[in-house]
Amino acid sequence: MLKTETYTLNMGPQHPSTHGVLRVELELDGESIVKVKPIIGYLHRGIEKLMESRTYIQCVPYTDRLDYVSSMNNNFGFCHAVEELAQIEVPRRAEYIRVMMAELNRIASHLVFMGTLSIDLGASTGHLYAFRDREDVLDLFDLVCGARMTFHYIRIGGVIRDLPAGFIEKAKAFIDKLPERMAEYDELLTGNEIFVRRLKGRSVMTKEMVLSHNMTGPNVRASGIPFDIRRVDGYSIYPELEFKVITGREGDNWDRYRVRFEEILESAKIVRQCIEGLPEGPVMAKLPAVFKPPKGEIYSRTEGTRGELGFYIVSDGTPKPYRVHIRRPSFVNMQGLNDMCAGYYIGDSVAAFSTIDPLMGEVDC
Amino acid sequence: MFGKGLITGMSVTIKHFFGEKQTLCYPEEKLPMTEYFRGGHLQLNVKKCIGCQLCALSCPNKALTLKVTTDENKKKHMAEYIHNLGRCMMCDLCVERCPAKALSWDKKYERAYFFKDYMIYDAVEEYVPEPVEDTPKPEPAAAAAPKPAPAAAPAAETKGGDQA
Repeated sequence: MLKTETYTLNMGPQHPSTHGVLRVELELDGESIVKVKPIIGYLHRGIEKLMESRTYIQCVPYTDRLDYVSSMNNNFGFCHAVEELAQIEVPRRAEYIRVMMAELNRIASHLVFMGTLSIDLGASTGHLYAFRDREDVLDLFDLVCGARMTFHYIRIGGVIRDLPAGFIEKAKAFIDKLPERMAEYDELLTGNEIFVRRLKGRSVMTKEMVLSHNMTGPNVRASGIPFDIRRVDGYSIYPELEFKVITGREGDNWDRYRVRFEEILESAKIVRQCIEGLPEGPVMAKLPAVFKPPKGEIYSRTEGTRGELGFYIVSDGTPKPYRVHIRRPSFVNMQGLNDMCAGYYIGDSVAAFSTIDPLMGEVDC
Repeated sequence: MFGKGLITGMSVTIKHFFGEKQTLCYPEEKLPMTEYFRGGHLQLNVKKCIGCQLCALSCPNKALTLKVTTDENKKKHMAEYIHNLGRCMMCDLCVERCPAKALSWDKKYERAYFFKDYMIYDAVEEYVPEPVEDTPKPEPAAAAAPKPAPAAAPAAETKGGDQA
């Protein structure tokens, strides 16, 4: 009698396609996947616990290290939560600068997504091109805050310093040349037959599946649910800005790629509106020398680059938070990995990891 | 036609082959660091420092170990300013907190070491006093030097009081 059985294959933790130190246990039946189990925790630093022994102001640099390719969004999320807790009013100019930085970082982060996706599918050229454009955004950030990765620019009560001279011109030049660059990606990747065949109709996530896993961000929008916290909650100055919430239809890998692709252009529009409407004024609210938020708790969410980035903070009235819990979008999105891979081939699992766009710094926290 | 996308893709790369160069021959050519660049060693201006230790207090990761001495005029001096680069996150909180603006980064970003001990250094030892221009006008330079000290001394008292 012929007897077949499934076998287990380890992918990672050093596999080049796992976006950091992620180990994935694949249960295989021949070449097709039966079950996928991500094993996380290799990059755990205990940031939530560390925050309990730091003052609120000292906590902000730790949020840089959560999702290290979109640090501005993390800074923004944490500061937004603390400001809601302590009811600090942020100056309007600071709000504009914050949104501008968050959207520029969204562009950079989605470019990294495109770069890593193309290198995972074997197109190393796309990777270099995406990183070339990301470099321009990093140069802008370098001007305002002096760092290229862990920015620590958005602070509780505003931003640390006003935009330096020449920043607006450089940002405008970048935004102007972005559509041209994106057209280049269209030629390089979108039209490529191999690229299309690797992505189209693969790892389909229906609306129900996405909702049952509580996925957020571009992953949920790719399945056709227009859920964008910038629109739903309308925090900061987002209600005043015009932008489209990009949605896909099928929820396959291709849609997840296209949603992020279009979002880059939408973010560029938001940056342009911010530059045009930038008001004058202070960039930092006045905080007391020893910053103590009142007793209470808050859950505040913002749209990170990968989904709903939530901070749950419990304050006991001391300068240090009693408890911080971070709802990391990458971590929650990872739950969908099994549904995305089961039934497809090993090669598709690589594309599925990529299009979830997880970042291990955020998954393990 | 199958393969058309591949050819258009290649035409993009060929265009860039003759286009503008994006890279830099790193060890020979170097990029200038920006104005607010955070990195390298901390430079402590010992003359300006008022010994308030706010930098060490604001450090989230306890990267700074300070030793302050008080002289006969009850003026605080920084005797040791041990900065552990291995613990430092380059978050800039110490530099921003400094009331006397005595701290700055030296922006020398090439800091790779074989041993952890090499990451620990004393900023007071590294302090190089600003060269006093003696030949053209010796008197104004000498007169200008002690001036900041009395201005810094009352600041030291008030800030120390705030902190206490």
